[in-house]
Amino acid sequence: MKHTMKGLLALLLMITAGCSSKSAVAPTDTADTYTPPAAPPAAVVSTPSGYGFDEYQTGPLGDVFYEFDSSELSADAEDQLKQNAAWMGANAAAATLVEGHCDERGTSEYNIALGERRAGNAKEYMVRLGVPAASIETMSYGEEKPFAPGHDESAWSKNRRAHFVLK
Amino acid sequence: MRYCKEIFSGVFLVMALLLLPGQVQANGDDYIAIRKEGSGKIALVLSKPAASGGKESGWAERLDVESRSGLDFTGLFSLIPPPLNVAGPRGSSSQSINFGALNSVGAEFYAGGAVVQKSGNVVLSMEVYDTLGGRPILRKTYTGKESDLRSIAHAFCADLVELLTGRPSVFGSKVVFVSNRSGFKEIYMCDYDGHGMRQMTNTRSLALTPVLSPDGQHLAYTDYASGRPRLSILDLAGGKRRSVARSGNSIDPGWRSNAEVATTLSFQGDQEIYLVRPDGSLARRVTNSRGIDLSPSFSPDGNKMAFVSSRTSAPQIFILDLQTGQTKRLTYNGSYNTQPSWSPQGDKIAYSTMEKNGEINIFTINTDGSSLRQLTSGSRQNESPSWSPGGDMIVFTSSRQGQKKLFVMNAAGGGQRRLLQLEGEQMQPSWSLRLK
Repeated sequence: MKHTMKGLLALLLMITAGCSSKSAVAPTDTADTYTPPAAPPAAVVSTPSGYGFDEYQTGPLGDVFYEFDSSELSADAEDQLKQNAAWMGANAAAATLVEGHCDERGTSEYNIALGERRAGNAKEYMVRLGVPAASIETMSYGEEKPFAPGHDESAWSKNRRAHFVLK
Repeated sequence: MRYCKEIFSGVFLVMALLLLPGQVQANGDDYIAIRKEGSGKIALVLSKPAASGGKESGWAERLDVESRSGLDFTGLFSLIPPPLNVAGPRGSSSQSINFGALNSVGAEFYAGGAVVQKSGNVVLSMEVYDTLGGRPILRKTYTGKESDLRSIAHAFCADLVELLTGRPSVFGSKVVFVSNRSGFKEIYMCDYDGHGMRQMTNTRSLALTPVLSPDGQHLAYTDYASGRPRLSILDLAGGKRRSVARSGNSIDPGWRSNAEVATTLSFQGDQEIYLVRPDGSLARRVTNSRGIDLSPSFSPDGNKMAFVSSRTSAPQIFILDLQTGQTKRLTYNGSYNTQPSWSPQGDKIAYSTMEKNGEINIFTINTDGSSLRQLTSGSRQNESPSWSPGGDMIVFTSSRQGQKKLFVMNAAGGGQRRLLQLEGEQMQPSWSLRLK
């Protein structure tokens, strides 16, 4: 529910406010390392957390996650991409690289292709929201650079992602 | 003796042989031991080449060892120890060969000869006899440097296998593969048996899916040196490397001929398979279908292409006829079929299936969709099949011992064994044709 609220807020801001407000929709903190919140998060968080953020993604652009052998965007993924689009709109000079990743199951070549489609679908969604296509590049690592080291669903679910890197 | 009788009661057929006076020229069309699939091995007595002198005796020993281990690797032969009274002192005259003794130990064929030194070179003269008729079926001389004893022995083995099976042998072929032993995935190349390994790339990023052109002149692979996956083509003679300068990603090349390599490119948006020349220029696009199109592998004549497509949702193998433009689906068994490899004889396609339990297994299927056969089972991930030059063996990756390692097996799935002992993981092997 919180994610949905954030997504709606982001979209609303993009449409109405011309994306001028940065702090309301996305963190101002662009530090490379994750800083755990000292106190329970306030209503508007200043440190990225939630769906698209974890130890492998500390913002400002959140990652999106996929089902096995799928590049389809879930509702949560779409919400995250709306937030990402809003942040890109507010930071017009920014450019991002979207890396497609897969879990270790399946075969390497196919996973590179699948990862490319994951990154491509994430980009396409943000472009539809008005982000210039030229500011988003995509590539795929397939299963070659997993984030979580394990061999079970808790690791796999973290490794099936489109990972945003600011350029 | 019993074995001998079985062999000659019609398990195989010795085709008509023209016995020429003097030099007998080997020719696979003239003399082929035709065997049913799964039938017995070829019973061979191989004598160590006769030699006089300490140096020559050392050569003879090494030639014998290399020939034996090479022939043993093929899985085609049953090597019978030579009877004590098999040949005269020189071992090079048919009159002095004791065919009665050879027949009594069950030998179908006898190979022997002599090694001498001429102008500092190794000169190996070999003869092969059909023990039933006592006739020579091969007489040939092999010359080379002292440092080339292994390849001299293998040149003889190649002639022997091609003479008796009518198919190209593994001798002189290479296997290219990926290893992470340096801390990065890089491309390596070795002989068919793992000997003589050398590192071919030093990207210090990721290099994947190597494949040699049919003539062995070019190595194509995908690498991440530029930050995203790109097709690289390395000229092995000149050392020059070319990349395909297109936007988007490139995945998994496969050679159609010496003049064209196919790979997946996405510079036009969707992933499609294109033909690329060895200089990196684009020849043409060959697929046009929304979704993943991947992993091209061509029929020996280059007219048909097996590939992976997600056009019907889950990945399946399809065959595109490049002359008619028609595509038909090949695989219906399983919901995750990838990594097609077209056999050099043209009749079969090997591929891998991911099962519901997470195992990956290797299958072969005829190009018309018949004769589906499972070659691996119950041993974790078995993938990336690639055929030997004669189509009688398959090299593949298996994680049955934990880490991914290279294995070989025969075309029916028998004789599965490790190919080389090397630290780290090895994967994505691709077997070249026999390189002249």
